[in-house]
Amino acid sequence: MAKIVLETKVLTKRYGSVTPLDSIDMQVKGGEWVAIMGPSGSGKTTMLNLLSLLDSPTEGEYILDGVGTATLTEKERVAVRREKIGLVFQQFHLVSYLTALENVMLAQYYHSMVDKGDAMEALERVGLEHRTDHLPSQLSGGEQQRVCIARALINQPAIIMADEPTGNLDEANEEVVLELFKELHREGRTIIMVTHNPELAEFADRVVRLHHGKVVKDA
Amino acid sequence: MAGDKGAKITKREMFLRILLKSLKVRKNRVFITFFSIMIGAAIITALASVYFDISAKMSRELRAYGANFFIGPASASGNRTVDTGTIGEAVKMVPPEKLAGASPYVYGVVRLDLGNAVLAGVDFAGLKRLSPYWQVEGKWITVDFDDESCMIGKTLAKNMELKVGDSVTVIRNETGFQKSLIIKGIAETGQAEDEQIFVSLPLAQKILGMEGKANHAMLSIVTEGTDIDALAATVAGKFPVLDAKPIRKVSSSEGKILEKIKGLMAIVAVIILTITTLCVMTTLITVVSERTREIGLMKAIGADDREIVRQFIAETLLIGVAGVAAGLVVGFILAQVLGQAVFGSSISFRMIVLPVTLIPSVAASLLAAVLPVRMAVRVVPAQVLKED
Ligand SMILES: Nc1ncnc2c1ncn2[C@@H]1O[C@H](COP(=O)(O)OP(=O)(O)OP(=O)(O)O)[C@@H](O)[C@H]1O
Ligand SMILES: [Mg+2]
Repeated sequence: MAKIVLETKVLTKRYGSVTPLDSIDMQVKGGEWVAIMGPSGSGKTTMLNLLSLLDSPTEGEYILDGVGTATLTEKERVAVRREKIGLVFQQFHLVSYLTALENVMLAQYYHSMVDKGDAMEALERVGLEHRTDHLPSQLSGGEQQRVCIARALINQPAIIMADEPTGNLDEANEEVVLELFKELHREGRTIIMVTHNPELAEFADRVVRLHHGKVVKDA
Repeated sequence: MAGDKGAKITKREMFLRILLKSLKVRKNRVFITFFSIMIGAAIITALASVYFDISAKMSRELRAYGANFFIGPASASGNRTVDTGTIGEAVKMVPPEKLAGASPYVYGVVRLDLGNAVLAGVDFAGLKRLSPYWQVEGKWITVDFDDESCMIGKTLAKNMELKVGDSVTVIRNETGFQKSLIIKGIAETGQAEDEQIFVSLPLAQKILGMEGKANHAMLSIVTEGTDIDALAATVAGKFPVLDAKPIRKVSSSEGKILEKIKGLMAIVAVIILTITTLCVMTTLITVVSERTREIGLMKAIGADDREIVRQFIAETLLIGVAGVAAGLVVGFILAQVLGQAVFGSSISFRMIVLPVTLIPSVAASLLAAVLPVRMAVRVVPAQVLKED
């Protein structure tokens, strides 16, 4: 049986009287593809932010790769995220004044070494070898999201976390992105993906359903 | 390592690339920051150039107004004269590069054709350097042992109806000395010398019967970087028969004027730097707030605080150094305008202006970046990334 890479115990996030995430107990095994679903405002993004160490919980524990994250300093949290997690956002965040290639190289730069060849390969893999020198504003939404995926993959993270990666894409682009995730899954990477789209969730090993910050279904 | 597919890019190259592109995309803000720093640096450069150059020139000009150091017989000795040899040795104690000019003086009253006058024996080469402001009609005497010629003061020349090239008979009753001398030059000095007649020291000693003696010597010493009081004490200490002292009137007024100018310029510089700092800070704060999402993204994909600080400090420094460089050029031009307008003099560049401009200007830019950089470090990626 695959080892557990990610585990939460009564993980809770509060903003004053609002509790967008309430006592989540969850375990994710290495290589698993987990889809997180639920209505708007149910706490999906909040949960992903906690799992990607972009945010800290109010209560509860989060153990990543066997290490408790509660005592990590901000610097260590950044380092863990850099080493282990590839992030894909719904709004395809890219640095506007850097080209597609440079955006990918930026992740290399923060991680370790800049290798143009590797960055080109990553863009090739998402089908953008002909768009490497374009700025984000010169790319379509689908192309921008593929740059984001290339960037998330460049440092070979074991875990990919994506918040509605196809939320802003048309069907054709959604298909391309889905294919990429299928491939990553086959490679054995752990995938945690927030999505509204049941068709996408179909390919996941498991669907975690949130409602008012609580897990209502996990299958 | 990786294949030969693309050129390797070092971290430094990548850093520079990000740096330049991020500046290029914000040309207006960069220009405002650059311009503020440039103006600040230019004004400091202009003030510093004027101050340092004029203070050097002023010290030279005031010195030109006459001697600033006196060597004579010690009053305790009761003598009215000293040996020229002793004076010579005392003068040698002044470092040669600090000595702008020196001459012994011997005085006595003589009778000329139309009346009495004070005769002064001098070393003409030294006198010329002590008195560059003299307006001489005709020529300075250049030969040390010229005992055929003399120079006379303008008033004396007028009173006795003498012209350049005339000869004048000098009579000293006490010694019975009598000699006819050719007038080589007539000097307008604006001082008591206008009524005197000048001959070479040896000739004067002969006329006055004071061989080997002088009444005193006057020196012009470069005051910049010289402790003139200590020098006076050393000379007087080594030669008990001598009295050595700076001529206060000129030295101290020179110092006072410069102190006042310096204080004023320092105040102006501080005010300008404060305004520059505030202006740069405001612009940088705007830049950071415009870039919160970019900063959040950089943090999300692995930039730690140090990387963010480095990026912003490097951007500020780059603009700052460019601004200071431009400011030095503009400031030097401004210094010429100021120099002409206020002092009627061109301003030469002095090395000290470089650090005096560079250090406070760059420090001000960095100070201006402190608050904006802290804002950047405090950006929370989870918050800024979800804003649309
Ligand atoms: N910084 C915050 N302060 C206060 N409340 C917050 C904050 N962030 C999120 N919330 C609240 O937490 C709840 C869950 O938000 P979250 O963004 O996790 O929802 P979501 O499931 O991702 O929704 P969507 O599908 O619309 O993206 C919402 O009710 C939201 O208003
Ligand atoms: Mg969301």
